Amino acid sequence: MGIKHLMQVILENAPDAVVENPVPSYFGRVIGIDASMALYQFLIAVRVEGQQLTNDKGEVTSHLMGMFTRTTKMMAAGLRPVYVFDGRPPEAKQNELARRHEVREDAKEKEAEAKEAGDQAEMERFSRRQVRVNQQHCDEAKRLLTLMGIPYIEAPGEAEAQCAALCRAGKIWATGSEDMDSLCFGSPILLRNLTFSEARKLPIREVHLDQVIAGLGLTMPQFVDFCILCGCDYCGTIKGIGEKNALKLIKRWGTIEQALEHLDKTKFPLPESFNYQQARALFQQPEVLDPARVDLRWGQPDEEGLVQFLVGEKQFAEDRVRATTARLRASKQTATQSRLEQFMGPPAIMTSCSAPPGPWPMVQGPIVLTPSPFPPLRQQAGAAAAEKGNKKARTSAKGAKGAAKATATKPAAKKR
Amino acid sequence: MFECLFEQASLLKKICEAIKELTDQACFEVSGTGISLQAMDSSHVSLVSFLLRNEHFSQFRCDRNLTLGLNLKMITKILKTAGNEDRVTLRAEDDGDHLVMVIESKTGNKISSYEVKMLDIDQQAFGVNETDYKASTKMSSEEFQRICHDLLVVGDTVSIEMTKDGITFSVSGTETSGCITCRQSGTVDDESVGTEITLQEPMNLSFALKFLNLFTKATPLSNSVSIEMSADQPLCIHYDIGDMGNIRYFLAPKIDDEEGAGAAGAPAAAPTEAAGGDDE
Repeated sequence: MGIKHLMQVILENAPDAVVENPVPSYFGRVIGIDASMALYQFLIAVRVEGQQLTNDKGEVTSHLMGMFTRTTKMMAAGLRPVYVFDGRPPEAKQNELARRHEVREDAKEKEAEAKEAGDQAEMERFSRRQVRVNQQHCDEAKRLLTLMGIPYIEAPGEAEAQCAALCRAGKIWATGSEDMDSLCFGSPILLRNLTFSEARKLPIREVHLDQVIAGLGLTMPQFVDFCILCGCDYCGTIKGIGEKNALKLIKRWGTIEQALEHLDKTKFPLPESFNYQQARALFQQPEVLDPARVDLRWGQPDEEGLVQFLVGEKQFAEDRVRATTARLRASKQTATQSRLEQFMGPPAIMTSCSAPPGPWPMVQGPIVLTPSPFPPLRQQAGAAAAEKGNKKARTSAKGAKGAAKATATKPAAKKR
Repeated sequence: MFECLFEQASLLKKICEAIKELTDQACFEVSGTGISLQAMDSSHVSLVSFLLRNEHFSQFRCDRNLTLGLNLKMITKILKTAGNEDRVTLRAEDDGDHLVMVIESKTGNKISSYEVKMLDIDQQAFGVNETDYKASTKMSSEEFQRICHDLLVVGDTVSIEMTKDGITFSVSGTETSGCITCRQSGTVDDESVGTEITLQEPMNLSFALKFLNLFTKATPLSNSVSIEMSADQPLCIHYDIGDMGNIRYFLAPKIDDEEGAGAAGAPAAAPTEAAGGDDE
């Protein structure tokens, strides 16, 4: 899953790239959620006394419960989720999938052992490790989403790749996944912890790709190469090369090709199959639907349909299903809060006194060059000072006056 | 260095009260022209900006422009130790990392001094275009505060409508709805403030009451408030601070979900062409 230790590397090298915000601050944002990841989390987390929820036929319903309640909570907070389902896994992922299969088989054996030993905690642990999202889970989730009026997309390949393409095209604002792969696929913004239980009160972690690559001092192609060396789902790793060495190598040589050329093969033997070109191609030209052909709509929930499906077939409590549906419907009716950015353009960054000196305000984008950046304050102030001769300011106020109006020319806050 | 004297601590108290609900930390900019600030709430829905001009301070000195990053919660706590009539001096060295607050009792017999460490704040600031608002209402600030407070009982979104006859605040909740109208009146007598409306075209926009209620924390600063609106612009709530300056709040409107209205009867999910295995 994902890129090994990438989050740690980011936190160490580019702490500014990660921001934490509570869920409600994402109102109005359209977020593409990796459905397989979400379903997997629900299957693991939504349990009673360690057992998954089931209906009378013994079919698991944890994923539906999780998806129904979490999605409603997101909608109620004003978020607009879109679920993206995985399509065919790429060839290169077969090794990784085989490995995961082995882990599950292994866990199965261990669970049996624990059962014999009567160790409840161990049993639960290994039963969680066997969790796998199968086609039936996905099909049921899609049916549920249709009834809820929530859009979903079936990606031809990896869901994260599709999310990244949608995000770059502006169809969605961010990708919601735990998987750091999303950054490699080029999602400008990645949100983590989105589908965790609310009871855990985890804030959402927002990772900004541009700041990640700036913080690491890499270009985007170099970042992808770096991630491949760290260890991804599509390619083996070189023994002895972890995230630290990988960063060093890419910074020194720029590409994997160059790095391999200069690598001491006796010290760091390559794995049997090290098809990094294939992995790179998967990250850079993944198979995705054209975002322009994707049309996202949030419709009204079908209450009777939901009751029939969840209560009739899955034995959910009817009053809860109806109450949740009512919340879902209410979330559609309220007008959406807009943001100041929509009216005033992107904000400029200003830095406070004790930060290192620099031109002020530091400009992000062209906004500060527009003719009237907050003129009332400065102009009024300047004019008033001019009229009254500025008796009380004993100092260089006159010099400051001219500068006060011009936005980009304000002197540095302070000298170090 | 920067130094200024507030003859009455109450003014500074009121200003901090008016800002601290929106943001915990803020950058005060001081220059030869006065003190100003711009701050946003964390979700970038609202913005507050204020200005106090230098010539209205009995003492004001600013050798070079400084941006002081301060923890408003802490400043407010310190100001609570001051009586309303106490004198407060703010002082900061050009290359210092703290702000000095000196509180002097009215009689001058007691002097307290506090040093507050300044913060590194990277704050985002907007260039607010000076809009010619299409509709504006000047009314009693206390009345406005009361209306915002009362309507919160009914719902969380208020639509503000200005016509030539008056200003109407209406809220509809799940089970209740309500509206309050203030008629155009002009000044009734010397004490109370009437409602005056200046209108180029009638306007009706919706806003989150939660934020309006935060803005009304500035009520003690002024007995009148101006509410200004234009289509496709944030609302502006403007309080004058005597003739010293002003404090203004901007709030992004609530916008109806187009898709919500459009797709009400339409099929719920709209998977793309590739969606093959649709249930149902």
